[in-house]
Amino acid sequence: MTPKQRNTLIVSGMGFALVLPFIVSNPSHQNYLILVLMFAQIGVAWNILGGYVGQVSLGHVAFFGIGAYTSTVLLVSVGLSPWIGMLIGGVVAAFFGLLIGWICFRFKGHYFTMATIAVAEILQVLFTNWEGVGGAVGLYVPLDQQGWWAMVFNSKLPYYYIALGLFTVTLLANWAIEKSFLGYYFRAIKDDPEAARSLGVSLTDYKLVAIAISSFFAALGGSFYAQKELFIDPGSVLVTSLSIKMSLVTILGGIGSLFGPLVGSVLLTGIEEATRQILGGSGMGIDLIIYATIIIAVAIYYPTGILGWAKRFLRRGKKAEDGA
Amino acid sequence: MCIQKLRSIFVAALLFAPGFFAGAQAQEEIRIGAIYPLTGAAASTGLEMRHTLELAADMINNGAKGINMPLAAGGGLPNLKNAKIRLIFADHQGNPQVGATEAERLILQEKVVALIGCYFSNVTATASVVAERNGIPFLNPESSSAKLTQRKLKWFFRTTPHDDLFVHNFYEFLKDVETKKGFKPQRIAILNENTEWGVETSRIQVRLAKELGYNIVESINYPAKSTQLTSEVQRLKASNADLLMQSSYLGDAILAMKTFKEQGFAPKAILANDAGFSDTEFRRTLGKDANFVFSREVWAKDLTTQNPLIKQVNDLYAAKHKTDFNGNSARSFTGLFVLADAINRAGSTAPEAIRKALSETDIPGNQLIMPWSGVKFDAAGQNTLGRGIIVQIQDGEFATVWPFDIATKDLIWPMPAWDKR
Repeated sequence: MTPKQRNTLIVSGMGFALVLPFIVSNPSHQNYLILVLMFAQIGVAWNILGGYVGQVSLGHVAFFGIGAYTSTVLLVSVGLSPWIGMLIGGVVAAFFGLLIGWICFRFKGHYFTMATIAVAEILQVLFTNWEGVGGAVGLYVPLDQQGWWAMVFNSKLPYYYIALGLFTVTLLANWAIEKSFLGYYFRAIKDDPEAARSLGVSLTDYKLVAIAISSFFAALGGSFYAQKELFIDPGSVLVTSLSIKMSLVTILGGIGSLFGPLVGSVLLTGIEEATRQILGGSGMGIDLIIYATIIIAVAIYYPTGILGWAKRFLRRGKKAEDGA
Repeated sequence: MCIQKLRSIFVAALLFAPGFFAGAQAQEEIRIGAIYPLTGAAASTGLEMRHTLELAADMINNGAKGINMPLAAGGGLPNLKNAKIRLIFADHQGNPQVGATEAERLILQEKVVALIGCYFSNVTATASVVAERNGIPFLNPESSSAKLTQRKLKWFFRTTPHDDLFVHNFYEFLKDVETKKGFKPQRIAILNENTEWGVETSRIQVRLAKELGYNIVESINYPAKSTQLTSEVQRLKASNADLLMQSSYLGDAILAMKTFKEQGFAPKAILANDAGFSDTEFRRTLGKDANFVFSREVWAKDLTTQNPLIKQVNDLYAAKHKTDFNGNSARSFTGLFVLADAINRAGSTAPEAIRKALSETDIPGNQLIMPWSGVKFDAAGQNTLGRGIIVQIQDGEFATVWPFDIATKDLIWPMPAWDKR
């Protein structure tokens, strides 16, 4: 694909995304679109650390949860708008990420992954027992104030555009990183850390930069979740399954690529919602079996993710054209 | 297996599934959405509740011989031209976000007139907000987080008592015991597990003790998966407590009892909080050592001797599913009847009419299979006539001992010391 083609595709995709909620008018369907964008956004955030730097974290829900809790606590206690709370949450999560990174980057490979799981679990226990943030009962976002300032709406439309905006901002940040020296450093660290170090790239410093950025954006997703569902507790914003989902959308879509998480999220959320709607009521778990089978199938047949497969497919098509 | 085949199966499922639903819509029916954990850790509980809801719907639609309960004559809801109840189940997987998504789908796509669910308090929290936004009545039969009815929601109704009330029941029980047996605990100790439920319960127990003038001398939260509780029990012994309040799951409840015996810790009474203590396995494993423990319950099988209705309904269920009702299934069952009663009185499936009818609900206790004085909602949507009961293990069986007016056996107080049994 030439850069021009690529730009045309992106611009038309963006245009399509902007008018999509007018084509899909059922709020319940709009809700699926929001979920797709939400998981894509946190997938992109995860991808910055997990995909570009190759530091696979399975505790990213910690940052998501910090974001959700910071904005909600500030909203409930002092009435601060979630827009500001969201940014504060992002900054808090980034600092927390630095702290965790400072400790956990001493571990390599699988050990880093295990350490991140532990951190998220510890955080879940802490929040469950911390009464100041609602403890086990959780926190409710008050319904009495609605509108843009309070980020509470009756309609799905505003949520859709906020999710789209968040996704776009996160994607742009990722794109800027990819194009800058950071992108090259990150990939160097991922592909050959020893070589990168010998060329003067400080491994720890740049891993810390990556985790801070990644945590910041994951936290924004958390604040958005809180405003969308209007209720958070450790069981919903600090659960391990969410960490896995962040990595899953990215890995299935195409790890280390800009649009991988979006593709993965469309696929994963689509399968999840469709199978559950059709078969979930049966109570026999068939939906989950199908869901798992598809994930396994993708992992076997498209190990580079859907996007990686699509790229290869396009390249093959192009070669055939050239040959003709 | 190739992808193509998988894909075709998936597409086939997509195409044919709506056909199943379409067939049933021809008849006049009242569509009620039921959101429960049908997969995941609580799947077996969810399935049980699903069975009882189906039983309740079947009794309303097709009648149940010999059961003298309003609406159980069969033939659907009389005030709506005998329209039948149709339950549409959705699986929330124990995930609050999924619960909200499913609530939205049931309301907007399945066009349900009311929702019932969700067992998990945190899922009820998000799903009920969706109902509120869409102006659809939400009846919650089993979630016990007190906060749910403090939200001032207009469309939310809860039939079960909540955690605050349950802990209140402990103290009311103690007050009654004081009158009857002349015993007032001077030194209460608390031993609760340390996840959401145990922590929250400790908090309420301590707060209410202060308000009601009881003295808490020790409060311990231990990890539920702990393999030994020796140091915790030593602390309890050292506290010289004369009454223990305990909230545990099964494994830790058994472990605690064994450790009490080993260390000779015998307060006047052990007041347990349902869960592990109510499990059949608890009595089976401990045998005689399980005797004399009190447990707060929402329902007990021996109540069948008090209220003929409970026995009739339980027999009907047991005949089909080879198991008895329990606290969860009995509450779900009751929830659907309360909802059906309101829809019938509303005489309409308009959400506002159902909501109004729900708020005017007044069902006497003798028409319920619960040990409640009835069902009547306050402005917050909380049933004010619900209550917990206290059971005691006597000779290896649960006996309802409180409230005294529905007790099947007298309570044994105090608990004998371990070496005097």
